[in-house]
Amino acid sequence: MLFWVIAAILTLGASLAVLLPLAGGPKGASAPGDHDLEVYRDQLSELDRDVARGLIQPAEAEEARAEIGRRILRLGAAGQADTTARRPSVATRLVATVAVLAVPLVSWGLYIKLGSPDLPSQPLAERLAKNPADSSVDELVARAEAHLAANPSDGRGWDVLAPIYLRLQRYSDAVSAYRNAIRLDGESAARQSGLGEAIANAAGGIVSAEAQNAFEAALKLDPANPKASFYLAMGLAQEGRTGEATVAWQNMLGTLPAESPWRRAVEQALAENAKRAVASGTPAIGPDAQAVEAAQSMSPQDRQAMIETMVAGLDEKLKQNPHDTEGWMRLIRSYVVLGKADQARDALSRGISVFGADSEEAKKFTAFAASLGLTATE
Amino acid sequence: MTRKQKRLSVIVAGLAFLGAATGLTFYALGQKASYFYMPGDLATATVQPGQRIRLGGLVEKGTIERGQGATVAFSVTDKQKSVKVTYTGILPDLFREEQGVITEGSFGPDGVFVADSVLAKHDERYMPKEVADGLKAKGVWQESKSE
Amino acid sequence: MVETGHFALVLAFALSLVQMLVPLYGARAGSQKMMAVGGPVAVTGFALTALSFAALATAYASSDFSVASVWENSHSLQPLIYKITGTWGNHEGSMLLWVLILTFFGALVAVFGSNLPATLKANVLAVQGAIGAAFFLFILATSNPFTRLNPAPIEGRDLNPVLQDLGLAIHPPLLYLGYVGFSICFSFSVAALIEGRIDASWARWVRPWTLVAWMFLTGGIAMGSYWAYYELGWGGFWFWDPVENASFMPWLAGTALLHSAIVMEKRSALKIWTLLLAILTFSLSLLGTFLVRSGVLTSVHAFATDPTRGVFILCILTLFIGGSLALFALRASRLTAGGLFHPISREGALVLNNLFLTTATATVLVGTLYPLALEAVTGGKISVGAPFFDLTFGPLMLPLLAIVPFGPLLAWKRGDVFAAAQRLMAAFAAALAAMLVTGLFVDGASVFAALGVGLAVWLVCGALTDLAVKSGFGSVTPAIMLRRFAGLPRSVFGTALAHLGLGLTLLGIVGTLSFGTEKILSMHAGETVELSGHTLRFEGLYPAQGPNYSEDRGRFVVIGADGNAKGEISSAKRFFPVRQTTTTESGIRTVWFSQLYLSLGDEGNDGSVVVRLWWKPLVTLIWGGAVVMMAGAAMSLMDRRLRVGAPARRKELVPSASLS
Repeated sequence: MLFWVIAAILTLGASLAVLLPLAGGPKGASAPGDHDLEVYRDQLSELDRDVARGLIQPAEAEEARAEIGRRILRLGAAGQADTTARRPSVATRLVATVAVLAVPLVSWGLYIKLGSPDLPSQPLAERLAKNPADSSVDELVARAEAHLAANPSDGRGWDVLAPIYLRLQRYSDAVSAYRNAIRLDGESAARQSGLGEAIANAAGGIVSAEAQNAFEAALKLDPANPKASFYLAMGLAQEGRTGEATVAWQNMLGTLPAESPWRRAVEQALAENAKRAVASGTPAIGPDAQAVEAAQSMSPQDRQAMIETMVAGLDEKLKQNPHDTEGWMRLIRSYVVLGKADQARDALSRGISVFGADSEEAKKFTAFAASLGLTATE
Repeated sequence: MTRKQKRLSVIVAGLAFLGAATGLTFYALGQKASYFYMPGDLATATVQPGQRIRLGGLVEKGTIERGQGATVAFSVTDKQKSVKVTYTGILPDLFREEQGVITEGSFGPDGVFVADSVLAKHDERYMPKEVADGLKAKGVWQESKSE
Repeated sequence: MVETGHFALVLAFALSLVQMLVPLYGARAGSQKMMAVGGPVAVTGFALTALSFAALATAYASSDFSVASVWENSHSLQPLIYKITGTWGNHEGSMLLWVLILTFFGALVAVFGSNLPATLKANVLAVQGAIGAAFFLFILATSNPFTRLNPAPIEGRDLNPVLQDLGLAIHPPLLYLGYVGFSICFSFSVAALIEGRIDASWARWVRPWTLVAWMFLTGGIAMGSYWAYYELGWGGFWFWDPVENASFMPWLAGTALLHSAIVMEKRSALKIWTLLLAILTFSLSLLGTFLVRSGVLTSVHAFATDPTRGVFILCILTLFIGGSLALFALRASRLTAGGLFHPISREGALVLNNLFLTTATATVLVGTLYPLALEAVTGGKISVGAPFFDLTFGPLMLPLLAIVPFGPLLAWKRGDVFAAAQRLMAAFAAALAAMLVTGLFVDGASVFAALGVGLAVWLVCGALTDLAVKSGFGSVTPAIMLRRFAGLPRSVFGTALAHLGLGLTLLGIVGTLSFGTEKILSMHAGETVELSGHTLRFEGLYPAQGPNYSEDRGRFVVIGADGNAKGEISSAKRFFPVRQTTTTESGIRTVWFSQLYLSLGDEGNDGSVVVRLWWKPLVTLIWGGAVVMMAGAAMSLMDRRLRVGAPARRKELVPSASLS
């Protein structure tokens, strides 16, 4: 509101600057000749001074004086001609009116188009100093960052900032914040599992070996850490070991307290896992206890065989329906886990060729493969 | 002399002066301007050893060698050909591998370009214009790859 | 506050349109009231532009990253001074500074022009308004500094580290005061052409503006040169870089204008030429703005390139230069010729000065534009550097400098060269002595060096001779001489100081170029190096932390003849993490007028550092001479003659202040 008042006052002032001279009383004009006459007089007196100082010879000075004299005479002749002021015509009034109106019209018209009148100034100091409750998350983070830039060895600060980064989806910042916190304040289950989550999210949700290490470290410190268990199971699912994943998640459901927020996540993951299993046409090792039991009771060889069948099924499915980014990543991971590097590489290059070498997906695949220690063959 | 003759002689003198200045200017342009080349251009252009030119391109990766004292050798490339350059002095702050540079100097008899000045790009945001244009013309550098 | 500034800018644009049209129409229609609109509108327009600029500077000072240009060119950790100077350390802000100064000069004409003929004043303000309108439109359409970001980023992208220096606080404002100051001369010329007549007072009005603009431009160029000298770490003070040339051309043309305006003012001669020169000088300023702002040239000055901006400025350039020259072609024949003079006279000397200076301007223009034209036509790329200018600009300057001392000693209308030469005998003897001493006793002095030193001494002594002769040295008693000296017009002192400053600058240039020494070597801590009698010991590299950078500072101790430390020089490599940029801070120690200059290079693997060391004799005189020239201009401005030029003693006839 204040802005509009200021704008109105400024406009008024500017319009007055145009209006006042136009509305003012008649002004006495000096004929242009008066100015010239004064200059010529000064030139004459300066000539005398120059003669006295020897800057001009007397003969030339006489000549110059005559020249100036002739100009003064010419001035007198011309001066008589146009001294009459003309009466303002209709056109003059029109121009004056347009000029006065143009100031508010042009300025407001242009400003409405260009300006952002609703946007207040936001000096940084003010933004950082205001009540934290009113600050945006960005501003709080900036405040914390400023603090940590000054005190980089404040482990608690990093500890607080890291989960916020995570929530803001600034995953790589979160990774370094967690690492700083761990380095300065030592390991804890929460920090390790947070680090794992940050690493996994930074890699687009893929639980890489690095993330796995972090989660495993968390579980060592706190075997009941739900985040670590959840993500480890997720990793299994991503490898295509849906059966094992299901078992792990079901175990979690068994141990998690009723009010734990993780229950919902686990249930959701289970449901999705089941759906994926059905869709991919692999034996539905869903949440039915029999299949789980069956899988658990299998001999390692059988289990291996079963997994290979599943992987082959996935491969087949991708041949028919190749535009499944996640499917490709699962396949690559599965081959890597099975120790079949050649096939993994083959899957990687097939996946890349589906989306084209320059596509986002291809980059994701390459990065993902690299995180598994696999490089594309040229 | 009449007034007219006087005026004429002044004008003639002025014109002669201007003519001399113009002649000098174009002579100097022919002699003292240095041409800009990229390494790939040198095959087709005839550049005598000792002739001053400006050579531009990217600093080829892994070619920077620091000799004894303040002499540095590196290769300038346009991704087609590369030319070895030696320079004695302090390299600009923005001199880095894979970055655009313009060097000025002349070829020695051994085919090594001896630079007496090395300019790197002034700002993180752009390459020296000549280098960027040259690389674009050769299709090596795309707009999208610029920072 | 930010939006208030934005609104004020738009309002100032609207006012510039009124200022362009109403007084012009009033002058044609003979309406006193409409002509009177120009003054208050110009002053209000300046106030609004100043408000707008203050708003932007506040946004920069308070790191308001909701303003796009602040976000792009500032950082919260920068020291306050660089936050403020950063206001014009970017394209948008520097254009706002440009129009701020333009409206400032317009307002000065409005305030101090109450003794100008009404129509002349109205037309001058209208032309000034037209230039303003074009540049306001340019800013609003292509380079609005008030573009906002929502939501606002929390941190900015930092100012180009090279610009984080005190030089940015001084160089651009001074340079713009010079560049834009010539717009007044331009407006006066176009106004005279519109009216089809030149009042006798015209030159008296134009000369002080030329002096002001020239004074600031001299300072701006000198400051830019000194800044480049210590900031870029190459030890050079002038690179014949196109951007430098862009500021040097208006200076040369402006110097010519300054001299031809004297003839016009005193003798009412050379009217048409002076008019043309005034137009050309500002046209060169506009050309400079175009070259720097359009992105045609790449340099540290071209902050950002955007083709629409280049095209827009090119249109402004064509409109104003083409328009004014066309008007000149149409109207110049209507202007009456002035007084007569003999070729050998004060007037003749000033014409010669103009001939040399404009030709020199033309060679610089060719050297600057030829590469651009060649690239546009054939695609060939050439660079024109010092060798070209040494061959063209040099030969033009040497004879000009040699005849400078004669000019002020010649009489008006018809002079006597022999009498002047006799009076200059002492100066000539001094110059010859200096030349011989240099040639015979200074090691490594070339013929050119001796000649250069002689020429510099000739200029300095010539200027002093002028003062001595005019106060009657040798013909009157010392007491009378002293009284005469004190009674000399200020403009005589101005001339002498400006010419003396020129001599000092020349001495500095010759000293540095001819007798400077240089060493490049790689040093370990504890090693010593000796250059031109100065011994330095390298103490080592010391890391340090600045507000927004980290640095490795190399310390060197200066060792005197007795083996004790006399002082310290330090040079640093600074790393600015936000822009990922390194800069070099050179180390300088001034010994009398000379300087020891040191700059650090790369660190070797074995812990050694490349060090480049220069001994630059008399180098400070280059800029010291420029300061003396500025003092000369300031002295000239105080001359009483420049305040005449209007019927001041007949106040009853003057329109009572048109400003209320």
